[in-house]
Amino acid sequence: MLGLPKGNEVAPSDSTTTADRPVSQRELRDWVAEFEAAARRPLRTRVRYAFIRTYKPVLDDAAYRSFDTTAEYRRWCEDSLPTWLGYAREV
Amino acid sequence: MPARFEYAQAEEIRDSFSRHQVRYLFIGKAGAILLGYPDTTQDADLFVEKGEANGRALVLGLAELGFDLTPDQEAEIVRGKDFVQLKNGPFDLDLVFAPDGIERFEDAWRRRVEVEGFPVCHIDDIIASKAATGRVKDRESLPRLRAFRDYWVERHG
Repeated sequence: MLGLPKGNEVAPSDSTTTADRPVSQRELRDWVAEFEAAARRPLRTRVRYAFIRTYKPVLDDAAYRSFDTTAEYRRWCEDSLPTWLGYAREV
Repeated sequence: MPARFEYAQAEEIRDSFSRHQVRYLFIGKAGAILLGYPDTTQDADLFVEKGEANGRALVLGLAELGFDLTPDQEAEIVRGKDFVQLKNGPFDLDLVFAPDGIERFEDAWRRRVEVEGFPVCHIDDIIASKAATGRVKDRESLPRLRAFRDYWVERHG
C-alpha cells in the first residue's frame, strides 16, 4: 500500500498538507495510477513521451553559457528570464 | 532550434561517455524520467564530476556527440565551471558540476541507480537538488515527485 509523501500528515478531511502544498487523497491516487501506467511502458516509450521541445525566450537565444558558480546561474535566471518560465525563486 | 531529445540520443551519451570513461549521472527531471517518473521536460541535465581528467574525457565525448565547442569553451569545461548550458549540438544539454542540495559527486555516485546502463542519481538526490533550488517550477513539481519517490522506493528499495 502506498502511503502519503514523507513528512505529510493526514488531515481529517480528504486532504493532507505537505511543505509544498496540500495534496488530496484523490490527487495522490491519480498520481499512483499514472506511475503504474508509466511502469508498464518500456523506457524507450517513456522517453519519447517525456521530452518535448518548445522555444524558451532568452534561455534558448544563446548557443553556449557558463557560470562559475551555481548561485551565479540562479541569479542570472532571476534577473534575465521571463518570470513565467518559473526559473525564479519568487514570482 | 535543436530537435527534441530522443532515447537514441540518451544511448549515444551513455555509449560515448562510457568509451571515454566520463563520470556523470543523469539528474533533474530527465533523471527522474529514466527512473520511471511520468512527466515532460525539454532538456537533459547531467551531473558531472569536477576534475581535469574527467573534464577532458567529457570534452571528447561531447565532440563525438556533435557538440561544436570552441577551444575557450572546451577549456572552461575542463576547468569545471559549476554550470554549463549547451545549445550548440544535436540536443540541449545542461552540465551541472555543483548541483544545489548535493554535497559531493562521490556521495551521489555511491547512491546511483543503473537503468538500462544509464547512470542516474537516486530519486532522493534528485528531490534534494530540486528542493534546494527554491525555484517556483521545482517547488510546484515536488509534491508529485515525492509521491513518486515513495512509489519507487516501495518497488526498488
